[in-house]
Amino acid sequence: MRKLLIPALLVAACTKDAAPPQSPLASAPPRAADRDHDGIADEDGDENALEPPEATEAPRHRAVAASPPRDTATRPRPDLRARGPSVDEVWILARAPRAAATEPRVAPGLRAEVEGREVPLPLARTDVRAKISGFLATVEVRQRYDNPYDRKIDVEYVFPLPANAAVSEFIMTVGARRIRGIVRERAEAEELYREARRQGYVASLLTEERPNVFTQKVANIEPGKQIDIALTYDNTLPWEDGAFTFAFPTVVGPRYNRAGSRDGVGAAQRGSAGASGQPTEVTYLAPDETSRHRVSFTIELDAGAPLVAVDSATHALDQKIVSDHVRRIAVADAAPDRDLVLRYRVASRPAVFVHQGADGATSFALLLPPPADLRQLARAPVEMVFVVDCSGSMDGLPIAVAKRAVRQQLARLGPADTFQIIQFSMDASALGRAPVPATPDNVARGLAYLASLRGEGGTEMITGIRAALDFSPDPQRLRVVSFLTDGYIGDERDILAAVAAKVGSARLFSFGVGTAVNRYLLEKMAAFGRGAVAFVDLGERAPEEAAALFYERVSHPALADVSVDWGAWQVSDVYPERIPDLMVGRPIVVVGRARGPLPASVEVRGVVGGRRVSYKVPLGPAAEHPALAKLWARARVGHLADAALLARDPAAIVEEVKRVALTHGLLSAYTAFIAVDATEPTGGGTAPIVPVSVPVPRGVNAEKSVPR
Amino acid sequence: MRLFLALLLTLAAAPPAGPRFRTIPVTVESATPLAAYQVEITTAGRIVGVEGGDAPFDAPPYYDPAALAGGRIILAAFSTESALPAGRHRVAVLHVREEGEPRTEIRLTAAADPGGARVEAQAFVGRQP
Repeated sequence: MRKLLIPALLVAACTKDAAPPQSPLASAPPRAADRDHDGIADEDGDENALEPPEATEAPRHRAVAASPPRDTATRPRPDLRARGPSVDEVWILARAPRAAATEPRVAPGLRAEVEGREVPLPLARTDVRAKISGFLATVEVRQRYDNPYDRKIDVEYVFPLPANAAVSEFIMTVGARRIRGIVRERAEAEELYREARRQGYVASLLTEERPNVFTQKVANIEPGKQIDIALTYDNTLPWEDGAFTFAFPTVVGPRYNRAGSRDGVGAAQRGSAGASGQPTEVTYLAPDETSRHRVSFTIELDAGAPLVAVDSATHALDQKIVSDHVRRIAVADAAPDRDLVLRYRVASRPAVFVHQGADGATSFALLLPPPADLRQLARAPVEMVFVVDCSGSMDGLPIAVAKRAVRQQLARLGPADTFQIIQFSMDASALGRAPVPATPDNVARGLAYLASLRGEGGTEMITGIRAALDFSPDPQRLRVVSFLTDGYIGDERDILAAVAAKVGSARLFSFGVGTAVNRYLLEKMAAFGRGAVAFVDLGERAPEEAAALFYERVSHPALADVSVDWGAWQVSDVYPERIPDLMVGRPIVVVGRARGPLPASVEVRGVVGGRRVSYKVPLGPAAEHPALAKLWARARVGHLADAALLARDPAAIVEEVKRVALTHGLLSAYTAFIAVDATEPTGGGTAPIVPVSVPVPRGVNAEKSVPR
Repeated sequence: MRLFLALLLTLAAAPPAGPRFRTIPVTVESATPLAAYQVEITTAGRIVGVEGGDAPFDAPPYYDPAALAGGRIILAAFSTESALPAGRHRVAVLHVREEGEPRTEIRLTAAADPGGARVEAQAFVGRQP
């Protein structure tokens, strides 16, 4: 009774006079942010990004002004000096006690278990608390920053979240005080942050650089002080091959940017901040370095139905069974070098969640299954095109796993199929000039070609896309592109636009190979390519399992041209707007808004193998979830972002993204969270910026993926 | 001399030039125990954070993002604690960035007791009305 009071009060006050938010400061383009064109952090134009390039043995790490080391002269950030002699370049010279480096305790290529030299960094830990209801998750991510140096600092941390996360809450804790952040247009929030930082106030700013890459800035952390940042997001969880998947990324992999790119996500070594020349940059620890940053997870899983199994191939789970459908799961102090992937199987899938808003409209999320009899239908012959990413970041275990997956897939081709193998790094090459029949001789030739592939060089992914989709289609066969990559590229837009433009009647299935892949890119490639995505970790059985599931999917026709007859339910604004093909083992989640009573079932219609089919999906009793309005808004923002990718003039779309995000209090590419503690300013002038360096993802060859 | 003093006093009373940050305490005064409130606040600046007040309203209150516009914000909070405050109680603290003359207006749009019934109350910024 009491809990309903305040939302009701808010509604009464807000529905009549809710004016569209005005923003006199906001007109700058997104991501102009607070770095200048050369990628140097430049909040006020009077200092540069600062990192602890060396460690000292002092227990409290000392921050001193000093001349830059000699190698700075060769770094691509010379404009720093061009700002004049007043530049106050400050380097933190600090060294943690050196631990004896040991050999990796895992297979060659894996490096996260190295007990290397610990580097003092201002991010102490991340605590992730998730509550899962059916296929909806509400996740609080709490980052603890402190200052191990002897002067105040600013912190910048580039970190990942799931690409469909609706981030709607942001709280900065300073001592015992908790300050709720305000969502504003990005340019306005950035200006407010710059001003607060300049005046010495403790402040924080959360921005979105990509749907799955975010930047957290915290200004004016005094020595010995601690500041917590807690953000909360909601997202829907996919059902794949019999289980729901909860995936939480902990690190952004080192991304390759094309020559001339100025809007990418760059990678640089610790101590070389700004070297990538990109507006967003991740700095990486060296292979022999570690930090104290650890990630802990607490997950309360209420499946809404009896749980059959809960497991993770990535982390050891501490599970407590609360009831047949509820588990409490914990993972303590994990290294931030790979995704946590949790899968849970249930006896029966929940069908629909609803939430009635103040305006009487209902937001809903519905799990739409494929027809039950797809498995009984055989596929037509295919023209299989394997595309293998052979860039430096795939070197070692990832490319070995990718090759095994392709071998498994080659072995399953039928005599009526043809195939081609394409590799790309800086450019693309192929097994032959055209696809060849899948005869035993040709398959043997393909296997030999596959064995010759090595990981080296950059990720000119566009060459792989062109090579796979540009040649003339075979009228007798459906082209199926199997694209294996870690997705480590800095600017996804070119790739997604190319897939959308070139896919034609082909289907593109993306395989994310690695422990912390770019899930946003891979999911969108599959969505634009009308295929499906799969993630192949570096576990022992992963390639074979992924290949088997892939073949299960392409071995049966999909339900195409899908539409839903909602009956008397007045449904609008459904996302995805165009429901993708429904494949074996791949139900999809649709979100929308509706009026009227929930029907007992809806009817799904589509085409399978040229035959029109329809079937009913019972909705059953709907479960209530308060986050559905935000999830709907996030889905609309995602839909608009996709449209903006392909639009010649996205200005109107951008304005609509801002409107939706501000109305629902969501983070987006064009909105940001700002929190300032205006109680009293700190002293001591402007603080230097310390980027939070991170390990390269487990299994990734740092030498070949992070530019020196 | 008198003119000089007047000029000095005028300068001392003038708001500092340029943007500045300050906090604005929000107080609700009710005759009976307060379990929930909602206020609409308009400031001359930009709100850059919302903090809770004194217990049991020490958690940061929620705001309605759809109603946020410039320096206007609608805050609301409730408490399920058994010990609820009556009289003057600081329920929230706004963090704002201002430029020019400070100006804050507040309107109490709802106040309720633990049963959800409206209570007589008033809201003001600062500790005193």
